[in-house]
Amino acid sequence: MKILLIEDEPELRKSIKQYLYQEGYLVESAEDFVKASDKCADYEYDCILVDITLPKGNGLDIVKKLKQNQSKAGIIIISAKNSSDDKIAGLDLGADDYLAKPFNLAELNSRIKALLRRRNFDGNKSIIINEITIIPEERSVTVNQEPVNLTAKEYDLLLFFVSNKNRVVSKNSIAEHLWGDDSDQMDNHDFIYVHLRNLRKKLMDKGCTDYVKTIYGIGYNFKVNP
Amino acid sequence: MKLISKTILYYLLISLPLVMLAGFFSYNIIRYELREGTDESLIREMEQAERLIKTFKVPHNIMLSTDSLSDIAVINNYHADKFFFTETRMFDKAEEEYVTYRVLKCYTNINNTTYLITILKTTLEEDELLEGLFSGLGLMIGFLVFAFFIVNWLLAKLLWKPFYVTLDHLNTYEIAHHKPHAFSAAKTKEFDQLNKSLNKMTQKAFNDFKQQKEFTENASHEMQTPLAIVQANLELLMQSSHLKEEEMNQLQAIENTIKKLGSLNKALLLLSKIDNNQFKESEKINLVDVINKALNNYQDLIQAKNITLDVYFNNDLFLVVNPALAYILITNLLQNAIRHNHEGGKISINLMIDTLTISNSGEALTINENDLFVRFKKNDSSKESLGLGLSIVKSITALYNFKIEYKYIHHLHTFIVKF
Repeated sequence: MKILLIEDEPELRKSIKQYLYQEGYLVESAEDFVKASDKCADYEYDCILVDITLPKGNGLDIVKKLKQNQSKAGIIIISAKNSSDDKIAGLDLGADDYLAKPFNLAELNSRIKALLRRRNFDGNKSIIINEITIIPEERSVTVNQEPVNLTAKEYDLLLFFVSNKNRVVSKNSIAEHLWGDDSDQMDNHDFIYVHLRNLRKKLMDKGCTDYVKTIYGIGYNFKVNP
Repeated sequence: MKLISKTILYYLLISLPLVMLAGFFSYNIIRYELREGTDESLIREMEQAERLIKTFKVPHNIMLSTDSLSDIAVINNYHADKFFFTETRMFDKAEEEYVTYRVLKCYTNINNTTYLITILKTTLEEDELLEGLFSGLGLMIGFLVFAFFIVNWLLAKLLWKPFYVTLDHLNTYEIAHHKPHAFSAAKTKEFDQLNKSLNKMTQKAFNDFKQQKEFTENASHEMQTPLAIVQANLELLMQSSHLKEEEMNQLQAIENTIKKLGSLNKALLLLSKIDNNQFKESEKINLVDVINKALNNYQDLIQAKNITLDVYFNNDLFLVVNPALAYILITNLLQNAIRHNHEGGKISINLMIDTLTISNSGEALTINENDLFVRFKKNDSSKESLGLGLSIVKSITALYNFKIEYKYIHHLHTFIVKF
């Protein structure tokens, strides 16, 4: 999987690259509009992450050009401007997703995975982790071929864990994934534990291994031995 | 006191002593002139008497004129020629009152005989003339004052009209709804200058206001990227397998702080966007749907605090607003009701016609209720709060001209929004 990261801030570029590299992606990056345009013209990518405010140009113009050239790449806009205007403009131009800074890398990762899954229609429609099978299109989960009846939050939580498997995900990033902007308003995220406990119980009732490891106070790690 | 009343009062205060002074002087001048006239006619009569004595040599009473009493007497003692004026008061039968007379006494020596000529003339006419003159003058002054009031009133209506237009305009001026050249040109030079200055001043104030608002927005935007960098590096650091529990706790503290900083930044940005009127797109939404969506998203928080929820919708309420703002309005009120509630408390939500009431149990306020909607003013007990939630609520209600008020009813904190 090849990803192009268009971001002018070197520190952020480095961190995102490192995180995605650990996920096994091939990540290239461009720091300004011209370089980004060149790379988009010369190479094919599976996913392009593009910042709107760029030196020498606007990220939205890159989205426009990609769409004109009927690029097959999935496009995620990452922007410091959390404005609905930009969001609507970006999505109208054909971007697939929009993520406002500051964001969690775990969230970015899960968005990329979801995007690649949606794009990859011909490929495998299910995610298989040992005994767990998830079919995102149907939002259904089976353990050892037995269906597990999950609530919306439990399902989202499981998918988020699976997308970020073998990684420490903080409670904050889980809250933000499950409750979106509303999580800004939430004083503590202790109630995540309620959903996690239910999810664990439902999976283990079907004979599933308990993959979720608690990492001290910070969060959880969905640990699957490779 | 109104400008016109004040002007008239000052005019009166200044003109009263002036009128009195003028009255005093004119009284004396007129009196002096009249006296002069009387005296002259007395002298004329005296001369006539002398002529009569010389011609007829008869020292008896002679009727000199119709309006004076006179007496000619022969004096045995010698008196040099001289005459002088005195005054005397006598009862006048015709007028039935005491009347002042002007008296001329004259010693004259004709043919070695000394005569005393006494001529009296009533000053009644003089007094009546003065009286008449003064009542006339008084009437005139009265009429002038009356005319002055009328003229002033008309002038105020006419001349000061542009001023009052400007004043009205200024009273209703709101910087957020500034329009350039709102104060129109006036025909009077001073008012025209005033309006031009006001235009210049409000324009400057508006520019500063805009800059200030843009500054908040830009500052918040500029903070997003550094926050994203810290956040990203922190997440990478979290992946390290060598971290001890203590270090993990420190990372957790940092992450929570960044999260809070990010939320604060977002809230500030939201506030400045609402104030900058950047939520232009509106659509028709049902408030009931918005509340249900918010309740759905916040049910975990409500359950975590064991709060009893009591919801009653009397009717649907359709509003044409920005859907994101409508949601933010409701969630901020809901969040407020949850945050400031105690374990096992209650929240009641009631939609009746066009009024939404959200009330919650909880500790009494430690801040003045007027400060509730002020940015960064918060109750002691809510350390987690950013202190911006209710400011955002206020801004949204102000944007759409909804009314919001806070009341403490039956030990419940109650927010009432009238749409």
